Amino acid sequence: MRKLKFYARIYFKILGQDIKSRMSYRSDFIISMIGMLFTNAVELAAFYIMFQNFNSVCGWSYYEMLFLYGFSLVALTPMQCLFENNWNLNGYVKRGDFIKYCFRPLNIFFYYISEIFDIKGLGQLAMGIGTLIFSWHKLQIPVTPLVLIKLILALASASLFFIGMMNFAAASCFYLINTGFLINTVSKFRDYAKYPVTIFNRGFRFLFTFIIPIAFIAYYPSLSVVRPDSASVLTWITPVYGSLFFYASCKFWMHGAGKYTGTGS
Amino acid sequence: MNRSERINSGLNIRAYLTLIRSSIIEYMQYRMSVVVMLFGNVVYLVIIYNLWKAIYASVDTPTVGGMTFTDTMIYLVLASAQFCFMEAYLVWEMGWGIQSGNIVLQLLRPISFETYQLFVIAGANLFNFVLTFIPTFFIIQIVTDWPIPMGVNLLYYIVAAALGGLINFAVDFFVGTICLYTQSIWGINIMKQLMVTFLSGATIPLAFFPETLRKIVMFLPFHAIYNTPLTLLIHNDLPMSEIGKMLLTQLLWAVLMMAVAGGFWKVSEKVITVNGG
Repeated sequence: MRKLKFYARIYFKILGQDIKSRMSYRSDFIISMIGMLFTNAVELAAFYIMFQNFNSVCGWSYYEMLFLYGFSLVALTPMQCLFENNWNLNGYVKRGDFIKYCFRPLNIFFYYISEIFDIKGLGQLAMGIGTLIFSWHKLQIPVTPLVLIKLILALASASLFFIGMMNFAAASCFYLINTGFLINTVSKFRDYAKYPVTIFNRGFRFLFTFIIPIAFIAYYPSLSVVRPDSASVLTWITPVYGSLFFYASCKFWMHGAGKYTGTGS
Repeated sequence: MNRSERINSGLNIRAYLTLIRSSIIEYMQYRMSVVVMLFGNVVYLVIIYNLWKAIYASVDTPTVGGMTFTDTMIYLVLASAQFCFMEAYLVWEMGWGIQSGNIVLQLLRPISFETYQLFVIAGANLFNFVLTFIPTFFIIQIVTDWPIPMGVNLLYYIVAAALGGLINFAVDFFVGTICLYTQSIWGINIMKQLMVTFLSGATIPLAFFPETLRKIVMFLPFHAIYNTPLTLLIHNDLPMSEIGKMLLTQLLWAVLMMAVAGGFWKVSEKVITVNGG
């Protein structure tokens, strides 16, 4: 417990430093924020145009798809905001700068990840919540404490999957050389998280459920709110599976960091 | 012709070819990323196939906005493959050069910065064209049973893609120059990328756009980057006058955009401040 408190205090200290340094580039911050909102606005426009031509996708109506989209945006935010530094790992390891993280009396993974907080992710969060509320309202899903708890739990566990995937992709650079493209490829998969996995054939459904688990970023967990009747066992094990997946990815990361030998400079 | 002029005119072609060659050689170092890019394209193809099959399955008519399922799929996969070879991350490159100060090295060269970048990018595009676009093209031809005729339309495509590449370069160069003022890379770049891919019809075919939006988009230069080359490639039955009109529009946009980008750079060159390092 004392340890937890200690780490929480350190976390906010490191985070504060990062935000302060970011704030000194104010125009960059504002433009990034606009860029983030712009990204989501364009995606929504694309969504709208699609549904001008087609009424449903695989039996999913416009508002249901919108719900999935909003859900995925919110579920992707923790990775965007809190684990952003994974993107830079390959560069640090390649240049040898990673060594500085090895000299702190803290958990390396914790220290490395807490160094950066990406504020522009909050724009995505706002957009996601807005879309969720809008489609929720249109779908006329009742607002009860039970549904809210289900939603929050579903969102929290869904976000663990994407963080886990990115941890694996980032930490691969400890084992292989220069794997910057891998994190790029993995992050692109998020674009397909917003579609119901039922559009794929069996092989791909298996792939996206168990190997690259993007179906857990929006589809399975959100079933518990949108279509509780068709929720399968996969929906209900999302929190457990998500925690295990996340835990495994952290272990993989730490094990990789343990193998780090520096570049000698 | 005095000496320096002679060197200049002799230098031109040779220097340009050298730039193209050196950038190809540089890319050769990253063979692995080409394999991953190609693999990414194949996965994308499968996902797009499934997604649009499901979408088309939910409407009763076989064509939507004048496009069949196969048309849509071919269009989108080729658009993505074209994006892969045309996107050379020039905005990143310029933004990064400005932030780190490395841009100074390029400004000191005896060749204008814009020309230098143009030929480096041309080399990168050529390399990626051969290694990703051509294989993707043949994969989709085989998978979908040769829907694209192998005739003069290929020639039109190459001309149109080259012009599209030039417009794309001009847009990139213009946006990269904005980085001189803002010192922000990510936000500017993401907005540019989305604007280009969305308004050029690379994300959703322009045929699906609502009428008014399509009309507006046709007045912008972006559709000439993706929509024009791909239309010329896929549709073999266009009348000559139509083809001429499309290529001419592209040419006009290319000249105009290059002039604007070059002019903007000339004005902005003076504000460069680098960190003295």
